[in-house]
Amino acid sequence: MESWHRGRSLGDRLLLLAVMLLAIAWIAPIVWVVGLSFKPNEVLMRSTGGIIFPPFTLKNYTDILAASSVFGWMANSAIVAVGQTVLTLVIASLAGYGFARTDFPGRRVLFVLLLAALAVPEQAVIVPLHTMFAQAGLHNTYIALIAPRLAFPFGVLLMTQYFRAIPAEIEEAALLDRASRLKVFWRIVLPLSIPAQATLGIYTFLHAWNDYFWPLVSATKPEMYTLTVGLASMQTNFAQTEGIGFLMAQAVFAGLPVLILYLFFQRHIVSAVAGGGAR
Amino acid sequence: MSIRRKLPALPSLTVAMLAMLLAGPAMAQQKTEITFARFFGACEGDYGTSQDVAHARGECGVMTTLVNLFNATNKDNIVVKPQIIEWGPYYQQLNARIAAHDIPTIAVMHTSQLGDYTRYVEPLDDLLKEAGIDATDFTANARAGVTVGGKIYAMPWDTHSWLWHFNVGLFKKAGLVDAQGQPLIPRSVDEMIAQGQQMKAKTGKPYIIIATSGAGDFANGARGYYSWLYDQNGSIFPNGYEKADFKTPESLAAFSAYEKLAKADLLTKGLDGGGAIGAFLNGNGAVYLTGTWRIDDFLAASAKPGSPLSEGYTARVFPNLFKTQSVWTDNHSWVLPKGGTNAETHKAALIFLKFLWDHNFDWARGGGHLPARQSVMAEYAKLPLRQYVVDIPTFGRALPHEVHRQFGFQNMIGEEIANVINTGKTADQAADAAQDRSVALLRGR
Repeated sequence: MESWHRGRSLGDRLLLLAVMLLAIAWIAPIVWVVGLSFKPNEVLMRSTGGIIFPPFTLKNYTDILAASSVFGWMANSAIVAVGQTVLTLVIASLAGYGFARTDFPGRRVLFVLLLAALAVPEQAVIVPLHTMFAQAGLHNTYIALIAPRLAFPFGVLLMTQYFRAIPAEIEEAALLDRASRLKVFWRIVLPLSIPAQATLGIYTFLHAWNDYFWPLVSATKPEMYTLTVGLASMQTNFAQTEGIGFLMAQAVFAGLPVLILYLFFQRHIVSAVAGGGAR
Repeated sequence: MSIRRKLPALPSLTVAMLAMLLAGPAMAQQKTEITFARFFGACEGDYGTSQDVAHARGECGVMTTLVNLFNATNKDNIVVKPQIIEWGPYYQQLNARIAAHDIPTIAVMHTSQLGDYTRYVEPLDDLLKEAGIDATDFTANARAGVTVGGKIYAMPWDTHSWLWHFNVGLFKKAGLVDAQGQPLIPRSVDEMIAQGQQMKAKTGKPYIIIATSGAGDFANGARGYYSWLYDQNGSIFPNGYEKADFKTPESLAAFSAYEKLAKADLLTKGLDGGGAIGAFLNGNGAVYLTGTWRIDDFLAASAKPGSPLSEGYTARVFPNLFKTQSVWTDNHSWVLPKGGTNAETHKAALIFLKFLWDHNFDWARGGGHLPARQSVMAEYAKLPLRQYVVDIPTFGRALPHEVHRQFGFQNMIGEEIANVINTGKTADQAADAAQDRSVALLRGR
């Protein structure tokens, strides 16, 4: 404690205190969710307070694990999230580099269209999108779960802006040495854009992992459900009143893989986001 | 050595395996698989392999054991594959499936939604006969629910309705019980307000607990509104289905009943479903407005010594405060979506429907709803407290099938009633708002 106090201004200490209070405020609901997930549903029907007092139960979790398809749903979510992330990074990076560094006919118009696409809400295109995939007979496939999300204007915009901020002189030297555009992109620009790639990757992965509406209408066969749709399908009609512990266990269970990933890659993620933000 | 000993057995083992491999697909081909789209949740943890329908509890428990039992015992090699969807977005997904021609063989449907789907589901008059299901056994309410334009479009599964659930202990404390110790049921709005004030004065507790703040809670206010509207033989479509009228005297009286309760501070405010049920179980209110499906939960709670309900719990039909007893009802039913069957699965679907029909009482007993069959109603009435609700299918009402987007109406009316309760909106203002909002719901009808 002594060393903590030494050499710090009052302002620093107040700032630290404020950060700690914010951290507690942020983590409290999560602790509450976890606590509720270990309480019997009958008890929670009467009160959702007192999470630190018994009785406790593991039944909410064993009920989830008893679902024969739950690990299949988790695998589907992983395939979809990883697939979307990798392909989004490839497409957004190439498109972003194209917009940032190359001049081609219609570039400005295309870029304006891209910006306009940012303003189109998902719900506005869901019907034509669904019809299109239905006509192609692609529903209940990984293609249908992954492909629609690859058109991600924000990702292209993010990468475009990032590439524009990289000094062109770095590339010019390589171009003078007769390196191709693709080689310059692959060898020089891409490694420099790791922070932006990481930011976009994390955002895309989380979005894909948590996605509900599109998988709900596209994956209608239980074996193709993603984790969000599968877990939701297990809820009884009155889950909000008689199955609160189960609902909380579902939330924890669905969030756990992402949390574990975060724990493993914490250092990279923090530096990536910090680096991305610094630009 | 041991390998050598086993070697002579290898040829016969190989032959057996080959036989199994060849027979496997043939055996599999004999199975007829039908898909069964439903909500009600999944509960493999409790009922994964159970076939004990008689002891199953809850909608999920009964549905799961029924399917398990059918799959294990049917002689026609039919396999029912449940396709379970969360209740909230069930109809959105069903619409998407119909649009994508990914159509389930059988699907659950509220009869309040049936008017929107008659183009997409098979008429069942002849098919029910073919299945051996006697449509004359339908209760009046179930028959009305599944019949559109004179044709039957679904096999009814139940009637569910809206009740007053009583904390009898609080009614005793407030002096609001009859000679038998049963709660006095109000017979007019004024009597209800007087009772509520007496309850509040004697116990300090709110008279009525109602959930009005969660996204799924708006149905609560609407179901009471419909019940009081129907008690007056009122309608929100007095002049055809092109235009709603929320300003009729009957509609205003139903809104006004809520306004009077709210102004007298006799209702809970701002509670969601979980909070409301918790309030009732903890004795923090005398009457809880919810459905028929809660009776067994509250009976179980009242049986626990020391529970706030241990001094008595009972349930009654939503009280008639006006002219004639009526109440809001809806039904679960089973439909055969068009394009969901072929010659093989068609027959299997009918066999499964007949199986469900034969187990309609099990659903009513364990699922908490009223049966759709007249022939099991007497047995149903013997279940605890069911004698008070058993007549609902004779006087319960629903919006006519000509009214499309009925859940939209239910939510909209419920939101306006929540505004009356939680924000002090007047009955007139709520009716005006409902009137305006109904235009959008009826657009493109």
